[in-house]
Amino acid sequence: MNFKRNKKVVLILCALMIFSLLAGCGGNAAPDKAAGDTIKLGFLGAKTGSVANYGIPGEKGMKMAIDELNAGKGILGKKVEGIYEDNKGESSEIANITTKYITKDKVVALVGDPCTGLTKVAADIAQENKVVIFSAGATGADVVEIGDYVFRNTLLDTVAAPAVVDWMINKKGWKNLAVITSGNNGYSTALTPIFKQAIAEKGGQIVLEDTVNDGETDFTAQVTKLKNAKPDALVFTGYYTEAALIMNEAKKKNLDIVLVGGDGLYGQDLAKLGGEAVQEKVIFYAGFSTDQPSPETAKFLEAYRAKYQEEPDMFSAQFYDAIMILAQAMETAKSTDPSVFKNELANLKDYPGVSGVTTFGADREPIKSPVCLLTVKGDKFPALLEKIPVQAK
Amino acid sequence: MDAFIAQYIDAYYLRIMIFIGINIIMALGLNLITGVTGQLSMGHAGFMSLGAYTAAIISLHYDAPFFLAILAGAAMAASFGFIIGIPTLRLDGDDLAMVTIGFAEIIRVFFLNFEPGGKAVGLSGIPQYTDFATVWLIVIVVIILNAKLLYSRVGRSLFAIRENEIAAQSCGINTTRMKILAFTVGSFLGGLGGGLYAHYMYYINPQDFGFMKSIEILNMVVLGGMGSIPGTVLGAVILTLAPEMLRIVAEYRLLFYGGMLVILMIFRPNGLLGDVRIYDLKKRWGKKR
Amino acid sequence: MFWEQLINGLTLGSSYALIALGYTMVYGIVQLINFAHGEIYMFGAFAGLFLVLSGVNVFIALLGAMVFCMLLGMLVERIAYRPLRGKSSRLSALISAIGVSIFLSTLMALYRGTNTTRYPEIIGNSTFSVGSIQISSLQVIILLVSALLMVGLQLLIQKTRIGKAMRACSQDLEASSLMGINVNRVISATFAIGSALAAAGGMMVGIYYNAVWPYMGTMAGLKAFAAAVLGGIGSVPGAMIGGLSLGVMEIMGVAYLSSSYKDAIAFAILILVLFIRPQGIMGQKISKKV
Repeated sequence: MNFKRNKKVVLILCALMIFSLLAGCGGNAAPDKAAGDTIKLGFLGAKTGSVANYGIPGEKGMKMAIDELNAGKGILGKKVEGIYEDNKGESSEIANITTKYITKDKVVALVGDPCTGLTKVAADIAQENKVVIFSAGATGADVVEIGDYVFRNTLLDTVAAPAVVDWMINKKGWKNLAVITSGNNGYSTALTPIFKQAIAEKGGQIVLEDTVNDGETDFTAQVTKLKNAKPDALVFTGYYTEAALIMNEAKKKNLDIVLVGGDGLYGQDLAKLGGEAVQEKVIFYAGFSTDQPSPETAKFLEAYRAKYQEEPDMFSAQFYDAIMILAQAMETAKSTDPSVFKNELANLKDYPGVSGVTTFGADREPIKSPVCLLTVKGDKFPALLEKIPVQAK
Repeated sequence: MDAFIAQYIDAYYLRIMIFIGINIIMALGLNLITGVTGQLSMGHAGFMSLGAYTAAIISLHYDAPFFLAILAGAAMAASFGFIIGIPTLRLDGDDLAMVTIGFAEIIRVFFLNFEPGGKAVGLSGIPQYTDFATVWLIVIVVIILNAKLLYSRVGRSLFAIRENEIAAQSCGINTTRMKILAFTVGSFLGGLGGGLYAHYMYYINPQDFGFMKSIEILNMVVLGGMGSIPGTVLGAVILTLAPEMLRIVAEYRLLFYGGMLVILMIFRPNGLLGDVRIYDLKKRWGKKR
Repeated sequence: MFWEQLINGLTLGSSYALIALGYTMVYGIVQLINFAHGEIYMFGAFAGLFLVLSGVNVFIALLGAMVFCMLLGMLVERIAYRPLRGKSSRLSALISAIGVSIFLSTLMALYRGTNTTRYPEIIGNSTFSVGSIQISSLQVIILLVSALLMVGLQLLIQKTRIGKAMRACSQDLEASSLMGINVNRVISATFAIGSALAAAGGMMVGIYYNAVWPYMGTMAGLKAFAAAVLGGIGSVPGAMIGGLSLGVMEIMGVAYLSSSYKDAIAFAILILVLFIRPQGIMGQKISKKV
């Protein structure tokens, strides 16, 4: 072997690596100077990966809100700057990005993540560093319990799921239900017990319980089992991709069934992937609907359509609201210090947001009504099926 | 200690340095199995998750001191390493690779269904005991012990097994014992890294320890140089820093990463510092001067 | 229900078998686990999708995808594996394969996004009953096409000149080259054939499940590799049997045991088989030469 040549190659490789590291440092060190003049907000969400359908519209909503603020007076006369990193929906990635936002970019608040599990990872870090985190999508349990810097503005699963189960059993008469969970999806494994408890309380029967996995495409065995169990309806607690594939398989096996789920099904891809198979066959709940809008919502819809030439969804609305609520709290507190304006945030009452009216309760949990039942109908996604009012706890 | 360091180093860089330390510990463990002994293991993340979950659950439920928790995690991983070491007596090369992949997948699926581990939701609220000083202290201890092991009779026997198992056996090396030893010690280090990781992240999830994580650790060993301690350390440093530095070209970074592996293997099949040992370096640079 | 699940298992298993064939053929000749093979399968599925979307007939699209992946497989072999052959350890070649795998899946993810893409329903589906069991016509088509491809492969290996050369190379690469066989060409051909089969598998999976995504190759590749090892790596009939039995085992595991342990069941059975019979179901026992 030619030892000399090899040595050269090593040297070149080493040089390349050192160069790329240095280049990286240079690029990273550039901003940071004007820290005093702008208010920085960090975006938490996935722009790629399996939950990108939640993050991408969220980012658009957040950008729009910040542009509107800057077109006006900003916050307390200062310009607002959003920073948008892609956390790919991975927990180690979101931990890295959250630390970077707090220690390097010096953000005053974090907005996101749409997923409960990821929000918890970021919330631990934010609470430790005394930075406000405002989730625009976490619907699961044990989020605001992490600490007094943690907020969210969503329709909670513990409120919505029982209302939907009540609607299924008492209004539609679907008593015998099958429940399918996505076993490697934290959102789904947390939502299933809520549904199961509600079904037991409202007098329904679970005839089949089964599991699928995110990222798989073969659901033939589960659908065959489903067909033999003959339930009135199927409750699926996972995300939109798997829901569409289950419905595709059901159609192929001549199984006519309605799939009901949480706002994890709220993704454009549900309609794109499911095609015929999901038409009026998939029902899910969410805290936002573009049908029958309030004046605030109507204004938002118009501005969003003009800006992006597409329909906003729940996540764009919730991210938009999150920014506006944060701005209002900072204005009333006359401070951008998280430890000061978080108290104003906790006192929020009857805020007329584009995603509904929000009040924070004594436990800092949001109180939102009504629950919107959505479905896929024709080209429109999502289409409003019904609004169910719920009582605050 | 950490408060003192934090005055001089940005918390973001401190964090990356802690990850570098943790990765060095785990990569050195795999280096012992794959780099030194030549037993291809593609399931190191399985040991890592065993260590992480055991340590986290002990910390959360039994309020045990930190060192006890991570040692218990490492011991749990080591006992599984011992069990996995046994099939190496019958299997070689690629079948063994398959068994280790399968083992890591089974562990992952187990934790996805493990109630005390929070199933797919993961475990959160793990106390953050891991800090810069602890990690790097452990790194130094591990490097010293590892170096001592490799220069000992045992270490040479392990190298001999990699080069030619049958020849090693005929030289009177008890290959069975040596291979199981490599697996046990290697997985102990994997579990140790996992425990440290869990106590730094606040939160762990079975999906964090998938096949790609195993591959990542394997890449550190192979990139740096199989069987070489400085090489493995270098590999761990580069592959932990690279994704952070490449964040600007975020979307292209995996493309770059994959391409780099191929090019590197073509030009440096034994890794950057393949089989370079600390004393070789001393000899080489010493002579020149 | 048993018979329906069996057919589900055979359909899934035939896709594993088609991918496993590529693993086992390459392994039989150059002793390399071609980790990029799962990505070739993914590229096959996407190539088929583009052809179908541009309005080509399904079977021509299938052929097109197979030809595309043949070239891709040969290219990968030429760039990433051939420079390493003979010079370095098998482990280096394996890492190179992992590099190619990461490169290819990222390339597709950059091009198409990481979302799952819908595969159009190109072949109309209907279900028919045989006795009390219902079978979908798509499943029958997939089983038939796979069977056809596998029989074709057997004929190719047993009856043609290149097949004979491949068999010779798998016995002893060096001796074959001394006998005047162009070893590089045979290896290229092996990669080409294996890749073409994977492409066929990818496209049929796309048609059947109506979904493709850039990372579909990773898990499928892993399972197919498991199938190849199960059947006895290096043995062509072994890969077919291994693939089909792995598919059936998985489906039966979901149907009668527990669906949450699906992946674990498949791997646990594999590990058990390897303990009892390290050479796999159809593999031959080779004693090591000193």
